[in-house]
Amino acid sequence: MQFDFPFIVSAMKEMVKTIPLTLMMAVLPIVFGFLVALGNIIVRIFRIKGLVACSRFYVSFFRSTPAILHIMLIYLGIPPVADQVSSFFHLGWSANEIPVSMFVIMALSLTAGAYLTEIIRSGILAMDTGQVEAAYSIGLTYSQTFRRVILPQALKVSIPNFTNLGIGFLHTTSIAAIVAVPEITGTATIVASDNYAFLEAFIGAAIIYWVLTLILESANGVLERKAARFQGGTL
Amino acid sequence: MIEIKNIHKQFGIHHVLKGINLTVRKGEVVTIIGPSGSGKTTFLRCLNLLERPDEGIISIHDKVINCRFPSKKEVHWLRKQTAMVFQQYHLFAHKTVIENVMEGLTIARKMRKQDAYAVAENELRKVGLQDKLNAYPSQLSGGQKQRVGIARALAIHPDVLLFDEPTAALDPELVGEVLEVMLEIVKTGATMIVVTHEMEFARRVSDQVVFMDEGVIVEQGTPEEVFRHTKKDRTRQFLRRVSPEYLFEPKEHIKEPVI
Repeated sequence: MQFDFPFIVSAMKEMVKTIPLTLMMAVLPIVFGFLVALGNIIVRIFRIKGLVACSRFYVSFFRSTPAILHIMLIYLGIPPVADQVSSFFHLGWSANEIPVSMFVIMALSLTAGAYLTEIIRSGILAMDTGQVEAAYSIGLTYSQTFRRVILPQALKVSIPNFTNLGIGFLHTTSIAAIVAVPEITGTATIVASDNYAFLEAFIGAAIIYWVLTLILESANGVLERKAARFQGGTL
Repeated sequence: MIEIKNIHKQFGIHHVLKGINLTVRKGEVVTIIGPSGSGKTTFLRCLNLLERPDEGIISIHDKVINCRFPSKKEVHWLRKQTAMVFQQYHLFAHKTVIENVMEGLTIARKMRKQDAYAVAENELRKVGLQDKLNAYPSQLSGGQKQRVGIARALAIHPDVLLFDEPTAALDPELVGEVLEVMLEIVKTGATMIVVTHEMEFARRVSDQVVFMDEGVIVEQGTPEEVFRHTKKDRTRQFLRRVSPEYLFEPKEHIKEPVI
């Protein structure tokens, strides 16, 4: 079989159209996951009774199972429940109206939340306890110290890890293809099946992922330099 | 003004403080000297409950705090009456110099930002850092960092200033600039408790010198009493080791007639 160079480009043209959706499925989970992780951290730091065990279970479960499973569980599990709720309250809508990409975003948000909890926790552990004592010594309370001294610095040291996770999630979106969300990899499969030029299509997909990752990395660089301002510009 | 009674602290099997008593009057400068491991830093940290004593009572302004089971409120109250200067500075790395100094005012004391800025700027001028307001701690020398640490403590106008070996981490040349600032504070009549290895400083500015060893106060008195008319052998031994002048004094007297 002949290697079809021009097809790489035409396949990429199709895939480029799916970049917005792909990025949404990578970035939104990080954003929502960040909020989930912050909630977890607050539960742990302030040892809120009852919730600590839940938080531990959540993190343990979602880090111990693959993301593809989370997508399947949400995709298959939520609609029946949503339909029940809808018919119970006579809301008159059905789970079919929810776009599939929403399920993917929900599932990946939960996945990201678990990983981000651990990332932020490690940032907090890296914090120098002397500054905490200094905060106490000038009369700050525990929660003021956490909010004003610990968290900003913990988040700052976590930036490279956030980016790392973001890149990982960009690539994880490829599994959304199994629930027929038209993202980059899924589109590659679809366009290639017309003329069986799978290799060409996947090469095109690889190039797109690579470029997107380079963009994320340079964004990380800018962010790191900004955050490192107070360290004399070096990290 | 401050009365500290029977402070005990144990780390595992190691009995670090074995019943320390100390009374500090308003405006007094108390220096605590002693070998490392004597418990002097632990004692100082007990005074604002960064370290929780196993036993003991701290009374300040007639408010009595049982250190064994202090309530959160009492801990917070005590920390608001005191301020500490640390050996390793412990400045907030993500905040500028002026923000470091303002933090205790705007957050802990709910002062308005403009007022806090004015107070902080004034304190920083006192320690000679008026041109470093917007620098970050990483851009400062050790001596400058410690002066920010002092300004941060001064800004909240505490009833008592606690200094934990403030010059011990500094280059010899930078020690002077920090001691100078501390001398200025002494002149304002502030109440200070200073853990230090600077014997000359202790000798010149203290109202009370406390020599600690192995978790107890071995000797205590005016600088004259402790440095000139030392009573205990352990104190004499310590002073001989840390201050060469003490060692050379007798020789100088012998030499004089020869010259």
